[in-house]
Amino acid sequence: MKNKKNILLLFALVAITQLFVPLQMIFNQENIINTGTEFKFQTAPIDPYDAFRGKYITLFFKEREIKVKNAKKYTSGETIFATIITTKNGFAKISSISRSKPENTDSYLKLKVGFAHNNDKIAIDLPFNRFYMNENIASKAEKIYRESSIKKKNETYALVAIKNGEAFIKDVRINEVSIKDLANKK
Amino acid sequence: MSDKITNELQELLKANVVTEETAKKIRQYFNEKQEGSQNRLSSVFGILGAILVGLGIILVFAHNWDNLSRLTKILLSFLPLIIGQLFCGYSLLKKSESPAWRESSGVILFFAVGSSIALIAQVYNISGDLNSFLMIWMLLCLPLVYLLKSSIVSLLYLTGITYYGCNANYFTYPTAHSYYYWLLLLGIAPHYYELLKTKANSNFTLFHHWFIALSLIICLGTIAHKNGNSIALSYMSLFTIFYFIGQTPFFEVQKLKNNSFLIFGKLGILYLLLLYSFKWFWDKSIYDTTSVSETFFSLEFIIALLLTFLAALLFYKKNSQTNFKEISVLELVFLTNILFFIPGYEFSIIANGIVLAIGISEIKRGSKLNHLGILNFGLILISILVTCRFFDTNLSFVIRGILFITIGLGFFLTNYLMLKKRNRNEK
Repeated sequence: MKNKKNILLLFALVAITQLFVPLQMIFNQENIINTGTEFKFQTAPIDPYDAFRGKYITLFFKEREIKVKNAKKYTSGETIFATIITTKNGFAKISSISRSKPENTDSYLKLKVGFAHNNDKIAIDLPFNRFYMNENIASKAEKIYRESSIKKKNETYALVAIKNGEAFIKDVRINEVSIKDLANKK
Repeated sequence: MSDKITNELQELLKANVVTEETAKKIRQYFNEKQEGSQNRLSSVFGILGAILVGLGIILVFAHNWDNLSRLTKILLSFLPLIIGQLFCGYSLLKKSESPAWRESSGVILFFAVGSSIALIAQVYNISGDLNSFLMIWMLLCLPLVYLLKSSIVSLLYLTGITYYGCNANYFTYPTAHSYYYWLLLLGIAPHYYELLKTKANSNFTLFHHWFIALSLIICLGTIAHKNGNSIALSYMSLFTIFYFIGQTPFFEVQKLKNNSFLIFGKLGILYLLLLYSFKWFWDKSIYDTTSVSETFFSLEFIIALLLTFLAALLFYKKNSQTNFKEISVLELVFLTNILFFIPGYEFSIIANGIVLAIGISEIKRGSKLNHLGILNFGLILISILVTCRFFDTNLSFVIRGILFITIGLGFFLTNYLMLKKRNRNEK
C-alpha cells in the first residue's frame, strides 16, 4: 500500500513536470508579446505542408546574411547573438553580431551560423520561419502573396516581437494589411 | 470452453474413460486458459485503440483553428495532456493490476505530451528545433515506463530516441554531434533488465530484443566524426558482440525469430565482409593518416578498441568452455580489425576468402543437420559473393556465365540430393 502511495506521488510529480513544460513556453512567449520590441522583417512567403503541425507559410527573409570582417572565424552551427535595429525605411536590420549576449539592449536574436561565403559574409537563418494558418486559407494566402509579389510596389513583411534572444511572429502583412484578412476576404 | 470439448467430455464420462473429478479439472483448465487468452486479446485491442486515439488527437488538433482566441487554443492544447494524465492516474489507482489499462493509458499520455508541446509551439508560431522537442518529449515520458510498468511506452521511447539520434547526427546540417542518445538509451536499461529477468518469453521482451538491437545498429554510426571510414571497425565488433549474445544459453533456447541479436550479428558480419571484399572500399584509408596521435585518440578509434576488446572477451568466455575446439569462422571475423593496419587491396582478397569459407561451412553444416534453410543460406551467400565480384573484376562474360551456371546447378543438385536423402530416411 505504501508502495502504491509512492508511485502515485511520483506520478503526480511527473504529471506536474509534463504540464510545466508547455506552461513555461506560454509564459515565455506572452512575455515577449507584451514587453518585446516590434520589428518589421521584409519577407517572401511560400507554403509547404507539414502533416504534423497543420499548414503554415514558410517565410524567407531578405535579411539572410551579415557582413563581417573575417567570416572564417565563425564555424557553421555556432550560436551567435544578433542585435536588431530599425532602419530609415522602417524595416528591421541586423546591426551587429557577437558571441556573447549584448548588454546594452534586449532587442537581439539568438541565431545559428549557416555557412561562411566570400570571406566577409556569413549566412544566417532567422529563428522564426513559420507562420501558422488555417489550412483552408493557407493556400489562398500563398496565392495572394504570389500575385502581390509580381507588383514590385508591394511590401510584404512579418511583424515580429523580439526580447532577449527570442521572438514571436505577430502577423504577416502585405501593404499594411494582415494576410489573414486578405485570405479571408477572397 | 468450446462446445466440442464439452461434448467430447460428456462422451468420455459416459464411456467411463475419465472420472467425474478429472472432467471437472479439465473443464477448469480450459476455462482458465480461455480467460488468459481473452485478457491478452483485450490488452492488444486496448493498446491498438489507444495508439489510434493518440494519433487521432494529434491529427484533429494539427488542423489549425484560426478563429478561436489564443486563450481557447491554449486551453484546448492542454486538453489531451490532462485527459491522458487522468487516464494514467485512474489506471494507477484502480486498475494497477490490469496490463491493458496501464499500457493503453500510458500510450495515450505519451502522445498527449508530444501533441501538447507541438500545439503550443503552433499557437505561438515557434518553429523550434526538432531535436530539443524530441528530447524533451522523450524525457517527460520516460518515467511512465517505470511508474506504469508500460512496455509499449518503452518501445515508443526507444523509437523516439533513435529518431532523435538520427535527426541530430545524420539529418541536420551542420550536424549537432550529440551523444545524448546514449544517455537516453541508458534510461531504458533497467526496464529491459527487468523484462529479461521476469518475462523472458513475453512478446514485449521479444519486441525489445528487436528494437534495442536495431536502435544500436542505427545509432552506432553517430559516433563517427572526422574519421568516418573507421566506423566499420566498431560495427564489426558490435555485430560480433551481437552474435555472441545471440549464442548465450538465454537466447539459444529461443526460436530463431526471437533471436534478433543472432540474426543481426550474423547478417551484419557478412554484410561488412562483402563490403570489405570490394576494392573501392579500400580507396579511402581507414585511418586518418594526417596525424597518428589524432587518429589514436579519436573517439571512433577508442570506441572501436573497446568494442573489439569486449568481443574478444565474449569469444574467450564462449569458447573456453569447449576448449576452443568448436570455433566457427564467423566468431573469428572480428580479428580482421587488427588487419586494418595493413593498408591496400590485399585485404579485399582475404575478405573474399573468408566469405567463401563461411559459405562452404554453412553448406556443410546444412547437409550435416539435414536443414535445407542453412544449406541454401550458404549457397545464397556464395552467389552474392560471385555477383559482387562481377562489378569490380574484369572476368570475361563467358567465365561469368559459366560461374552462374555452376552455382545454379549447385542449388539444384544440393537441394535435390538432400530431399532424396530425406525421402530415403523416411522410408
